[in-house]
Amino acid sequence: MARHLIDWLDSAAPNDAAALATLVSASGSTSKKIGAMMLVGAGGELAGGVTIGGCVDAQVIAAADDIVATGGRRILGVSLDDDEAWEIGLTCGGAVEVLIERITPAGAGGAIATAYRAAHRSLALDSAAAVVRSLDGPAGALTVDEQGGRTGTLGDESLDDAAADIARNALRCGHSTSVALTTTSGEHRVYIDCLVPATTLLIVGAGEIAMALVSFARELGMRTIVVDGRERYASRERFADADEIHVGMPSEIVGGITRTARLAAVLVAHDYKYDLPVLRQLLREPVGYLGLLGSKRRGAAMRDLLRADGFTDAELARIHTPIGLDIGGRHPAEVALSIMAEIVAVRSGKRP
Amino acid sequence: MSAFRDAVLEHFRHPRNRGELASANARADGANALCGDRVRIELLIDRGRIVDARFTADGCAVCIASASVATEWARGRSLDEVSVLDISIVQETLAGAPAPGRERCLSLPLDTLRRAVAAHMAS
Repeated sequence: MARHLIDWLDSAAPNDAAALATLVSASGSTSKKIGAMMLVGAGGELAGGVTIGGCVDAQVIAAADDIVATGGRRILGVSLDDDEAWEIGLTCGGAVEVLIERITPAGAGGAIATAYRAAHRSLALDSAAAVVRSLDGPAGALTVDEQGGRTGTLGDESLDDAAADIARNALRCGHSTSVALTTTSGEHRVYIDCLVPATTLLIVGAGEIAMALVSFARELGMRTIVVDGRERYASRERFADADEIHVGMPSEIVGGITRTARLAAVLVAHDYKYDLPVLRQLLREPVGYLGLLGSKRRGAAMRDLLRADGFTDAELARIHTPIGLDIGGRHPAEVALSIMAEIVAVRSGKRP
Repeated sequence: MSAFRDAVLEHFRHPRNRGELASANARADGANALCGDRVRIELLIDRGRIVDARFTADGCAVCIASASVATEWARGRSLDEVSVLDISIVQETLAGAPAPGRERCLSLPLDTLRRAVAAHMAS
């Protein structure tokens, strides 16, 4: 969600300013989820969005223009089903709160920039981080990383301690949230922005489906690693957008890749000589998604072979095969779309 | 054909000498650029004789079976003997030949074994 902010910080001159709008709470039916961001530049430029568009974004932009010019911060509350909402054409139902703050690359408005830069450094090390901001106190920001480290402050030591504890809990599920806290200094409300490293899509088998997978993954902000034993398939010409391309013994290459819950592995070679050894490598690893291209019959046969190797039914049940959601697709890009849909569904907890 | 199939599957399911050879002093990688078979042969050679031979592979059943048979055959052989290793020796052990077009699956591990020996002799 913070990609636009990081991009702006990387390119901003020291005296530049912008307004950062963040969707910090949402109830009912809303088009975007907590954590959505929009950056409004001093020159009117826009990046990102806190809703799909329309009147809420228009209100946010108007408020952001004001804050870029005059400074400060505010929370813009919009009820999507009150009289005003009906009048301005919003009929979705629900309510949102948008925190709008003036930011600068450094100086007085630089606390947010400093906090997100720290979080970005964690992400570069494949470690999640949370940026905490007060919703009812002074400007400030606290960064908490997965390992327990923290930098910055919300301006109150007891609040920092309480916020750090709850941020670490939030990082475990990875969902940004707004919470109320009671500390020795009183009642507080904070927003916790969870920044989780990108999912890495490991693709074994560099055929047509793999080419479409790389395109979709790029749009979804995932890193991609393409693996095959055939140089003519796993080439930069065919996979211009892939982050990594490896030609060699697939099981050996996969053995050298960090296996975490943020790794989604898709086996689309449709060739047992790659599928079996790679599955042996991954079945006992904590990967977030493991999918195998092929029919139910082929999947059952593969499971039988792996069961003979000593893998348990519980381990074999982790293989998504036939791979992908059943959307009736036949062409390579349609199959790739169904695979990406299943990966997103598993990642968001909609599918086991 | 059935005897060949049975022999190939037996070696595929229970390959001999599969795995890395930490003490190897000769090694070669082989690949079939079209089908994607990948095989590595590692040898321990002492005084002109192959003391140990192992292989690693992501390959089809025929390729795995051939690597299994070839490494079994190679153990104890002199380097000169490796020069006579050809497909017929493996076919004899596997009691048959692969289908037309699959000969390369059988020959890849043998070529790789010969290259491992050649690299050792050249070093």
